[in-house]
This record gives sequence, structure tokens and C-alpha cells, in this order.
Amino acid sequence: MRHRLAVSTARMVVLAAMCALAAESASAQAAKAAPGTENWTPPKTPWGDPDLQGTWTSDDCIGTPLNRPANLGDKLYYTERELAQRESELAKQQQNDLQEVVAPDQRVSTGPPSHWVERARRPCRQTSLVVDPPNGRTPDLLPEAQTRRIPEGANNNNPKADSWEDFSYYIRCISRGVTGSIFPVIYGNGQQIMQAPGYVTILQEMVHEARVIPVDGRPHASPSIRSYMGDPRGHWEKNTLVVETTNFLGNKTGIGLNGGGTPTSDALKLIERYTRTGSSGLQYEVTIDDPKTFTRPFKVAFPLTQEPGYQNFEYACHEGNYAMSNSLSGARAQEKAAAEAAKKK
Amino acid sequence: MSYRLLGWVLVSAASVVLFTAMPGNGQTSPATTSRIPRMPDGKPNFTGLWQTLGTAHWDIRDHSTQPGPFSQLGATGAMPAGQGIVEGGEIPYTPAAAAKQKENLQNRMTLDPEIKCYMPGIPRANYMPFPFQIVQSQRDIAFVYEYATSNRVVNMGKSREAAVDTWMGTSNGRWEGDTLVVDVSGLNGNSWFDRSGNFQSDNTHVVERFTLGDADHINYEASIEDKTIYTRPWKISTVMYRRKEKNAQLNEFKCVEFVEELIYGHLKKK
Repeated sequence: MRHRLAVSTARMVVLAAMCALAAESASAQAAKAAPGTENWTPPKTPWGDPDLQGTWTSDDCIGTPLNRPANLGDKLYYTERELAQRESELAKQQQNDLQEVVAPDQRVSTGPPSHWVERARRPCRQTSLVVDPPNGRTPDLLPEAQTRRIPEGANNNNPKADSWEDFSYYIRCISRGVTGSIFPVIYGNGQQIMQAPGYVTILQEMVHEARVIPVDGRPHASPSIRSYMGDPRGHWEKNTLVVETTNFLGNKTGIGLNGGGTPTSDALKLIERYTRTGSSGLQYEVTIDDPKTFTRPFKVAFPLTQEPGYQNFEYACHEGNYAMSNSLSGARAQEKAAAEAAKKK
Repeated sequence: MSYRLLGWVLVSAASVVLFTAMPGNGQTSPATTSRIPRMPDGKPNFTGLWQTLGTAHWDIRDHSTQPGPFSQLGATGAMPAGQGIVEGGEIPYTPAAAAKQKENLQNRMTLDPEIKCYMPGIPRANYMPFPFQIVQSQRDIAFVYEYATSNRVVNMGKSREAAVDTWMGTSNGRWEGDTLVVDVSGLNGNSWFDRSGNFQSDNTHVVERFTLGDADHINYEASIEDKTIYTRPWKISTVMYRRKEKNAQLNEFKCVEFVEELIYGHLKKK
């Protein structure tokens, strides 16, 4: 019995391999249309899923605005000439960064030293992160979203510091939401993708988020279970991982960098698409549909890259949140000083 | 049916057979070997949602029932009695470390990292009263813990030295037969073992052993060594259970919001 099972297994494997080969050559032909992918076959895991694993970063689009400047109209990509210009700016910046690290008697400021921040390694081709609508701008807010009472701290970069609640969920080390956790910012853009049979997990450096995405066809969790990062479910469309995320808490984070912007509602649904484009490239695309906040769904997309030596580190955000206690105690000290000055008058 | 779809169906069918019928490497009994899930290369597959039962999160040593710190919580806040997970029963503290543990216990409401929603460290993360998800790839293995979304990746490649000390440490794994052995170094020393003040230091070295007893149980052991606070190496052992409910999944337990009043309350505008 055991013997026959092994033989039939071997036959199935061979047959499956033949079918997979036929399928591969078909997809290779389809891929020919895309530049830079001609001689590259997307790898598979030993259990047959497309293999997206590695640590990916959105660093190359650091500084690319979410919303396109209006004067650029429908122009999504820079021209080759404009890219060359941006490339030389990056090189200059790199030189400046080196200077700042080694120069003695450098003037210090309260901001982080420049060598803390991550830099693009090559210029981002896009003029905006929003790719649809064609004008590259976040759609208008619905009237109900404009009048929604938003939490004091949401999207607040200049808090009055009466309480921790005056600060954003990011500054409080709670969450940046799903999109805020992958949109490129000054550092901590690492996305470590790991896969197992039936699961994909994405470990994100900043705020040490960890998304566990079942890809086994199970339904969403009950809508009564709500969270900052939502309830993700994945499936494969050819070589693309498609993740649908629902069950968000409403009125927490927005679709901006670090989760800023108008907070989305509990009706938010995200459809993300992760597609490898080469040995070190992965295209990220997310469709944002929040019928209680935006007048229409819209799409954000940008490339992620794998870079030699780039890895995630433990980002113990809350554990080391001295900024919070220092900001609050600083504000109390200022109030005390102001009260004493007033008494003297 | 397209070739692609047919291919998928067959690959899936073959995988199912492979996963269940892949022979072991002879280190465990055939009866056990046939019952544990395996990766395509034959290694045990730990992927799944797991949780440790018991009361070790209160105290890893044997302990009696005790009242909780707040009478308002009534019976729900009390600490149930439980068998410890320390082999031999006692933690071999040096006299100074034993005194520090007592001090920790007395001041646990302000000192216990769990009360402040800090990352739990290793091994504590493994037996908190929360599930955790293992995602095992053909290379490295991710552990995602529900509590505070703490997580770690066990590097199964060439052993890497800890770049910096961290809460969750640096995990290097290897296989000893069907046992996953994880060497944890670079712990920052801020973690406790439980709610009773049992503690580690930044010299603590933990070696964990994960063995599938059958498809739904992991026999877990960790040996703990630290000459600065323990007089000899010591060991804990417990069992992790697979969460079998058909809708079981990792949920989100972001606890920062629950501790801000506690941590920053004195700095709030009056």
C-alpha cells in the first residue's frame, strides 16, 4: 500500500511538473511585454506558491509626494532627462550625508542626524504615489467625512501636548495602519515577507507590525472583530499576491505617510497586489475603497526593492518612547514657567 | 480547465500526499513520524496557531492560589495555583539575584514589563495567555505573538551574531533530527519570565528546543544560562497546543492605549 502510494505520488509530481512547465512558458510569453523581465522567471516556493520572500523596501520613492503637484497634470512619470537630474541630486545628497557624519564641530540641531535617515538608491520614476485617478491626487472627501469629528491626535504634527491623546497613533507607537506602514518615509521602510504553506506574513520594521495573511481560502473574521491593521485574506492570481483587508476600526489612521491624513472609516476595504518584477524588484499596488470617506476608490502604487545588506531591526517604539514623556513634561514645565512669570508681573 | 489550473490542482494534490507521507530521517519512532506535518523537504512543519496552557505566565515556579492586587476585579483578578515549568522546581539564583526577584515581586505593578505593554522577550513570549503564529518557510521561521504584536524571525542560515541587544533577542536556529533548536542571544536584560519578578539579565543565553509530539502538540524546552545571576544553568519545559477551533486566528492585541495613563498620567495637564 505504502509502496503504491509512493509510486503514484511520483507520477503525479512528474505530471504536475510538466503542467507547471507548460504554464510557465505561457506566462513567460505574457511577461515579455514588461520591460526588464524577459530573462527572469518568478521563483516558486517548494510547495508551489509564487515566492515573494525577502526584505523589501520602498526607499527609492522616499520624498515622492502622495499627491501630485497640480501643475504636473496627468504626468505620472518623469522624463529620462528629469530622472538624470534627480540622480545627480541623489549623488550630491550622498556626499552631503558623508560630510555631516565626519565633519568636526558640526552644528547640532534637534532633528535626527542625516545618517539616521534612509535615502533612495535610485530616483523614483513617479511624480506621485497616487496613480489613479489620472491626476495623481487623493479623491475629494465626502461631506460626511469632512464633518466627522476626528480624534484630537490624528494627523497632528504640532500637538498641544496636554495629553498623549493629542499625538498621532504613530507618535504613540500604536499603529500607522496598513498603508501608512508601507508608504515610503524617512526610515524603517523594511517589509520582510515570509511564506509557509497556507500563510504569508509581512513583518514591518517601524512599530514592529506583523501581518499574518491566511492564503488558504478561509472567510474573513466576524465583522464584530475590528482592529487597526484589519483582517487580511490573501489569494494568488498567477504570480501576484492579492490581499483583501477589511474589519478596520474607524476614525484611527488615514491614507497618508505614517498613517496621517483624514482618518478612514470602518467601511475601509483595501485590495493590495504584490508582484515580483525581477530578482530584486517587487511592484506594490493598493486600491483604497472607503465609501464613507472618499468620493471614489483610488489607487496608490510604487516599486519595492531588495538591497544587499538591508534588513529589519527590532524597533522597540513604545518601549523607547522618550519623546512622549519628554514632550509632555516639557509642556508642563513651560506652563509652570509661564505661571510663575505671570505671578511676578 | 486550463493547463495552469490543472497544474495547480495536481501540485496541490501532490503536496498533500507529500506533506503527509514524507519519510522522516529516522530520529523519531515511525508511529510519531507519520503523524506530524512536514515540509516538502521532510523537515517538521511547525506552521500554525499555538498556545501554551497553564499558569506559568503568573509564576514559572510551583505556586498556590493567591488574591489579585485589586479587590475590584474580584475572582477574575486572582492568581490560580499551578504546577511550575522549572525543572527541579527552583531557579538557582545567586543570593543577590534572589533578593532582586523578591524586590521585583513587591514592585511588580510598576516594574513588570508586561504591565507596561513592553515586548515580553524570550522565553516569556511563548507561554503568555495569548496565541502565537508560526510561519515556517523553506528557509527561516517567523514567530508572531499576539501580545503587543511582538515577533521574531529565527534565522536558519549561517549563524549571525546579535548586532545590538534587543527585547526579543537574536534567534539562530538549527535542526537536530526532528527538533528545532533555537539559540537566543543578544537579549537586552529588561525582560522577566513571569508576573512574579523572575528575571534575566543582558548576559542571559537561552537555548530553546521545539519538538512536535504529534500534529497538535509541541514539546517545548528552554535551557537558561547566566553566570551573573544564576549559580548553574537551569531548564524550563512545557507543552504548546495547536488552536483547533475552525475560526481560530491571531488577533490584534495592541496594548499601548491601555498603559498610557499608567506611564504618562503624571505628566497630563491638570
